[in-house]
Formats: sequence, C-alpha cells, structure tokens
Amino acid sequence: MLRIEGLRKVFPGGVVAVDDISLTVSDGEFLVIIGLSGSGKSTLLRCINRLVEPTAGRIWLDDTELTRLAPADLRESRKRIGMIFQQFNLVKRSSVLTNVLAGGLGSISSMQSLLGRFPPQDYHRAYANLERVGIPEKAYQRADTLSGGQQQRVAIARALMQEPALMLADEPVASLDPATSHSVMKYLEEINRQDGITVICNLHFLSLARRYATRVIALKAGRIVFDGLPTEIDEERFRSIYGEEAVEVEIR
Amino acid sequence: MTTAGRTGLPKTDPIAFRKAGPGAFISSWKNLFWVLVAVVALTYGWRVTQVDFVNLVVNLPRAERIVSGLLRPDILAQATEQTTVTTPLPIGAAAGAEPSSAAVGSGRLVVTPGAVTPAAPLTVAVNGVEPDSEVTFWLVDPSNNARPIRRNERTDTQGNASVTFTLPDSLAPGAYGVRADLSVALGRWQLTDTFVLSAQKMVETIFLALMGTFFAMLVSIPLSFLGARNLMLGSRVGWLVYSFVRTIFNVLRSIETLILAVIMAVVVGLGPFAGVMAIVIHSIGAMGKLYSEAIESIDPGPIEAITATGANRVQVILFAVVPQVVPQFLSFTMYRWDINVRLSTVIGLVGGGGIGFLLIQYINLLQWNQAGAALWMIGAIVILMDYASATIRARLV
Repeated sequence: MLRIEGLRKVFPGGVVAVDDISLTVSDGEFLVIIGLSGSGKSTLLRCINRLVEPTAGRIWLDDTELTRLAPADLRESRKRIGMIFQQFNLVKRSSVLTNVLAGGLGSISSMQSLLGRFPPQDYHRAYANLERVGIPEKAYQRADTLSGGQQQRVAIARALMQEPALMLADEPVASLDPATSHSVMKYLEEINRQDGITVICNLHFLSLARRYATRVIALKAGRIVFDGLPTEIDEERFRSIYGEEAVEVEIR
Repeated sequence: MTTAGRTGLPKTDPIAFRKAGPGAFISSWKNLFWVLVAVVALTYGWRVTQVDFVNLVVNLPRAERIVSGLLRPDILAQATEQTTVTTPLPIGAAAGAEPSSAAVGSGRLVVTPGAVTPAAPLTVAVNGVEPDSEVTFWLVDPSNNARPIRRNERTDTQGNASVTFTLPDSLAPGAYGVRADLSVALGRWQLTDTFVLSAQKMVETIFLALMGTFFAMLVSIPLSFLGARNLMLGSRVGWLVYSFVRTIFNVLRSIETLILAVIMAVVVGLGPFAGVMAIVIHSIGAMGKLYSEAIESIDPGPIEAITATGANRVQVILFAVVPQVVPQFLSFTMYRWDINVRLSTVIGLVGGGGIGFLLIQYINLLQWNQAGAALWMIGAIVILMDYASATIRARLV
C-alpha cells in the first residue's frame, strides 16, 4: 500500500522534523504512530500526501511514486488518500452537507465547482456517509453548530466521499473528551475493518493505541524508535523509550 | 486593588518605590525628555498653523448669517398664487387727470394721475386686493424694460397698498406702463423649489456613491485574491504578482478622492460621472487592501483539508477561502459605501456633481437659507445611511 524510503524533512531555520524514516505499510493495516509533540508525527503524515514537501526521500502509494508527481497527477493521487485533522478543519460557515460534498471536489471540474453542481449521486453518497457516522439529521446545519465529536465525524464523512484507499488521521481525538474519542476511533476502526481502508493515525494516548491499532510505531526526534504490535508496548517500555533521554543527560 | 510593579519589592526600599509607585512617570528622565519633545512640537505647531483662539471667539458673530440660514432653511414656504397686470401710463407733455387702472386679484391697480410729465409726482396703488399679500410695482418703458418702483410691499387688512414717488426727469416721453406683480398666499404650506432641487441632487449623490462603490467592488474583489499573501506566496511569479497588486492598492489609496475628482473633471468634464470615477479609483485601493487583509486572516485549516482531497487551486479558493471571507467582504463593502456617501456629498464642491455642486453655488451666491436647506438634507440622508448600513452589517455578522 504505502512505502516510504529515507524520508527527511528539514524546515527553514534548520529544524529537522523528520530524519531518515523508512517504513512499509500493508493493505488493511491500522497503523498508529505515537510520540511526543514535536517528534515529527504530523510532518510525516503531511509528507505522505505532500501537504508538506519532503526535503529528501521517496514515497510510493502502490505503484505510484508520490514524490515525483506533477501537480495534476498529484491531485489524482490525493483523491485516493483521505485525511482528517485535530482541529477538524471544516468550513465553519458552510452547512454540514456542503462540507461533506467538498470531499468529492477532486472528481468534478472547476466550472462545476463554481456553480456548486455536484453530480446527483454525490448528494446520495454524502447523505449515506453522514448516516454512516450517525448524524444524518445535521445535514443542513452550519458546521460550527456541531459539537467537537460531531464535527470530527463530519470530517470522516468528508474523507469517505473520496472512497480512499488510505486514510491519514492527524491526532483526530486530541481535542475530544475520552468517551467521544472512543466513538470517533470506533468509526475509524469500522472503516478499516469493513471497507478495508488502510489507516495511519497519530495518537497521544497509549490506551487508544493498544485498543485500536494493529501495529504501532513510536517516533522520537524524527526517527522511528519502535515498530511492533501494540501488545509489545507496556508502560515500562514506553517510559524507557522516553525516559532514556533523561538518563543520558544525567550521565553526561 | 492595583499595586502594579510592587509585587515582590520590599516596601522599605525607597528607590524601588519611586520607580514603581505614583510619580514614577515624572521621575524618569527618559519620560521627561519625551514630554519636552511633545511640548516643543506642540508649540511649533501652534505657530505654524497660526492658532488664534481669541480671534475665533471674538469673531464668532460672523457666523451669524450661516447659522440663521441653518435655523431657517428654505424648505417650507407658503404656497402663493402670482398674478401680474400692467396698466398703461403715457409719459409726455400733457398731464391727464383720469387715473389709469386695471383689475388685479380681487381688486384694482390704480395709477394716479393716468398720464404725467417727467419729474411729476405719481401714486401707484392696489385697492381691495387680498389682505396681507405682497405686491411689487414696476415702471415698464416703451421697450418693455421694467424698472422696479417698490418691491414686496405688503397690503394692509383692507387689501390696500400704495406708493407715492416722483418720476425722474430723465425719462423720454412715450407709452409707458405700470405693472403690479401680486403674490397671494393660498393658506397652505408647500415644499420649496430649493427643497425639491436638493432632493433631486441628493438622489444623484446617493447613486453616485452606489455606482462608485459597486464598480470598485467588481474590480477589487478579484484583485484582492492576487494581493493575499497566503494565496500568492507559493512561487516566484506569485510573489511578483502579489507585490505588484499591493503596490497598486497603496498608490490608489494614497490619492485622496477629492483630488481625483478634480483630475477626473478635467478628463470627463464636470458632473456626477467625474465623481463616480474618482470614487471608483480611490475605493479600488482602499477596498482592495481591506479585502486582501480579510483573506490573509482566514483559518488555514480548511485550505489544508480541501487541498488534501485532491481539489485544484480554484476549488480550494471557492470552498475553503470564499465561505470564510464573505461576511467580512460584505462588512467592508458597507463600511466603504458609508464613507463614499459622505465623500459624494462634498465631491460636488470640486465639480463632481451631486448636492455639493448645489451647496457651493448657494454659498457663493450668499443664499444662506437655501444653503441651510441643502445642509439639512445632507445631514438627514447621511444619518439615514449610517443607520441602514449599521443594521445591514449587524445582520451579516
């Protein structure tokens, strides 16, 4: 599904966000990436669909090398990658339905977008996706009238419009309370298991990782420091990964 | 209770207290220096601008005419009916005894005697016309030129008014006449011509502002996207376009609308179109800058999200940028329209049409009552527009 080789991202000013990461993701995996803030999780995800341009390295989505694509082809490939964000990133003043429909923009022309004319089946699919995430009755409300959890579900519905092969989730539940977090994670789990969509998800909380992931990767300072099953990480291992740094400083 | 600056400092330290307590401002040399600079600047400014408050107070009475014009604006007046009648008056060698007369109003114009020699005494009168009306007497010479005898004489309660005077001896003999213009009050009030004219001009003024703002909006909305940093700074070309557009906005903004009106009047002639063009040009700069800043202040999150779905630039702008900026765009447009209405009231002073044109004429002709009418009209409309635009803006946000 996804292959990353030697990915490196250095921001202007010298900050090395991602430092030589290579990994392979198989179809149908639910990969969770954990790490402290600033460890490169978000940058890694954004490099995959080139919202952030990698400084070095190559990324393949199936047989397509994403890092070599021209803008028009990149847009085509982006259609196959759905993404949801920590801040939901809905258009607040637009209705929920408009937000979901926007997920299908990649498949219509500029002129059609100007007139706001999506194909009729898009409207059906949008509504069906809203039903799937459990909030069809909110379709005509303004997006900012919804609660956080509901907004994230709308974001999931928007991503589902693309019928993606891969779903990127950048800390989707960091702004939500524990119960709502589980609710959103369950939807991600459902689309992973039922639709076979590969999910790569950044998370803060180990408990969520252990509950939902089929594979866990830990990042530290832009490098992979752990790659294995969720059951292989316990609190001790987690602390030993991040506690080591403190010990090293003391030794010096 | 505020003890700003005193946190953590021992109360017994006098120097720290002076630095942080009351009087701290005065006791700092740096602050005193800046106060001195300010005083010097104000003094110099006083001299350069020739401030003279004594002059102002002493000469305040000079404003009396203008103030009285404002207090008694030429808006309402008694409806009057005008009638005119002329009765012949031969001026020559022979003097006749019979008075010359003609019917006017509900009475008669009587000239006694009915024929005279030059330098002779003459009485012109109206008898039995409507009481308390105005009559103006003229002497009409054989070439039909009218010389005033007495203007706006009021008739008494019997409807009589008369004037006795001596004809000048320089009059050539001929078939003269005496004309009386009678102005009878009809007992009801009506809006004056000044009011009607001002109202028409005010409509022109409002549309001046509307058209100007509209055309400026048409041009500056697309341009503003090109002047928004967050949309343009992706490529070298983008940066060049952005700089160019921003420079245009700044240049157009810096030329005041009234100056532009003078220039435009030279190009397209005096009249409202010059005013419209002046407003358009200046507003493109002003609105373009406001719009660009609105675009730059949007939340970048939705832009990221829509881009991630595979949408192209146009679609990202349509679905992620436009919904966020529409309320601000509308708000800024109403704000600019507000300003332009005010500007358009004075743009006529420099030849741009609208009510300013009328106002400057009244002032130049010292017609203070009419100027007062125009000023009241301006004030009323501007207040109305203020209220309207505030309501609309409240609805939008």
